[in-house]
Amino acid sequence: MESLISFKGNREGIYIHIKDGEFEIIKQQLQSKLNEAGNFFFGSNVINFKGKQLDSKEENELKSIVEKKYGIAVDNYNEQTEEENFFQGIEEGKTKFIRSTVRSGQCIKYDGNLIVIGDVNAGGQVIANGNILVMGSLRGMAHAGCDGNIKAMVAAFDLQPTQLRIAHIIARKPDNDDVTVSKWPEVAKIEEDIVLIEPYLRKK
Amino acid sequence: MGEVIVITSGKGGVGKTTATANIGAGLAKLGKKVVVVDADIGLRNLDVVLGLENRIVYDIVDIVNKVCRLKQGLIKDKRYEGLFLLPAAQTKDKTAVSPKQMQQLCNDLKEHFDYVIVDSPAGIEQGFQNAIAGANRAIVITTPEISAVRDADRIIGLLEAKGLHDPLLIINRIRQEMVKRGDMMNIEDMIDILAIDLLGVIPDDEAIVISTNKGEPVVSDEVALSGQAFRNITKRILGEEVPLMDLDVDETILTKLRKLIFGK
Repeated sequence: MESLISFKGNREGIYIHIKDGEFEIIKQQLQSKLNEAGNFFFGSNVINFKGKQLDSKEENELKSIVEKKYGIAVDNYNEQTEEENFFQGIEEGKTKFIRSTVRSGQCIKYDGNLIVIGDVNAGGQVIANGNILVMGSLRGMAHAGCDGNIKAMVAAFDLQPTQLRIAHIIARKPDNDDVTVSKWPEVAKIEEDIVLIEPYLRKK
Repeated sequence: MGEVIVITSGKGGVGKTTATANIGAGLAKLGKKVVVVDADIGLRNLDVVLGLENRIVYDIVDIVNKVCRLKQGLIKDKRYEGLFLLPAAQTKDKTAVSPKQMQQLCNDLKEHFDYVIVDSPAGIEQGFQNAIAGANRAIVITTPEISAVRDADRIIGLLEAKGLHDPLLIINRIRQEMVKRGDMMNIEDMIDILAIDLLGVIPDDEAIVISTNKGEPVVSDEVALSGQAFRNITKRILGEEVPLMDLDVDETILTKLRKLIFGK
C-alpha cells in the first residue's frame, strides 16, 4: 500500500507531507511511521503539515497525536514569516561590482546589491536580491529585489530598459515610441504596486 | 609568426564572407602573405566569392584528418601574389572539425603566413566555436539593423568570454542618405551600444554585388566607394592611420575637391 505520509525538510525545518487519502488511513499511517521512527523525532520541532488540505478539526487531531504521543512540537508556522525572509541589505549590505558591459545573452545574478560599471545592453540581464545600479545605459532587463524585497530599486545613468522588475512587479517600456528620453540619471522604485521612474537629482 | 584574425557576426548575411575575401585580397595587394580560411563547413562560399571554386581538390576536413598535407590543401590565387585559400568541406558538417584541431591548424598556418583570416559561419554553435578557437584577434561585422547589432553584441560577449578582448567593428552596408533622413541607425548609435573600436565603414554599394557574382574582390575596384572602404580597412589592420571616408554621395565634386586641397 502506498505511503501517504512522509517527513520532509526545507530551510525552515521539518514538515509532514500528507498525500490525498482517507483521513483514518492517514492517521494510522502517521502513527505507524512515528512508531517506526521511535525516539528519532523526540523533542524536535515540526513546522507544519503540507500537501492534502486538512480542515481544522483534522489538523488538530493530527497535531495532538504528534505532540502528546511523540513529544514533537508543532509550530504553526505561517506563510508571513517566509515573506520576511528576503534580502535586507538594500540600505547597507553586500554588493558586487561588475566592471564590464553586460552584453546580449549574458546574465549577471547576485544575492546582494549589484553595481555595473558599464552598460547593460538589450538582451542582457542583471538580477539581484538587492538594488541594481548601472553606471551607464541600462537597455536590457533588470530585476531588483528578486527574492521579494519590494523596497529595492534600480538606478541608471541612462534608464532605457526593455523590461524592469522589482520584487514581483513587472514593468515594460511603453509600446509607443515617443517616450521622452531623459538626459539625466533616473531611479525606478515601487510605489503602490506601480513602478515609478523619476530623476534622482531633483534639481534637474 | 603571423596573426590569426577571425571575422564573425552572429547574424547571417551581413557580409562576413565578402569582408574576408576583400580583406584577404587587400592585404595580399599590400605585399603580405595571406591565407583566408573558410570555417563554414557545409555551406562554403568563400571559394565562390573569390572565384576559386573550380580549383578545389582538398579541403579543411582533409587537412585536419591528415588526408593531405597542408600545402596541398591551399589554393593559390593567381591574381594576387601571396593570397591563398583554404576551402571548407561542402559534404560534411560543422562537427567534422573540433576546436582543438582548428587551433592546431591555425598555429600551423601562422608559421607560414603573415595573416590568417578565418571566415566564421553565422550562429554561435560549434562552427563559430571552431572559427574562433585559434584566433588572436577578432573583427565583428554588422549592418545598421537592430537585429544585426543585437547579434553583434552577443558575439562580442562570447568572444570576451573566450579571451578575445577588444574586437574591432566593421559596419557594412550603410546608406548615408537614409541615415541623414533618420531612417537608419547611424555609426555613433552603433558604437555607443557595442562599445568597441571602429575598424571601418562600408557603404551599401552595387559594385559589391557585381564583384561577388564575378568572383573578383571589390577591393581591386579603383572606382567603387566600397573598394576604397576595404582598402582603408586593410591599411588600418596594418596599423596605418586612415581617416574615415566621406560617405556623402550628394556632395558636389567641387566641394570634394576643396576638401582635398584645403583640407576643410
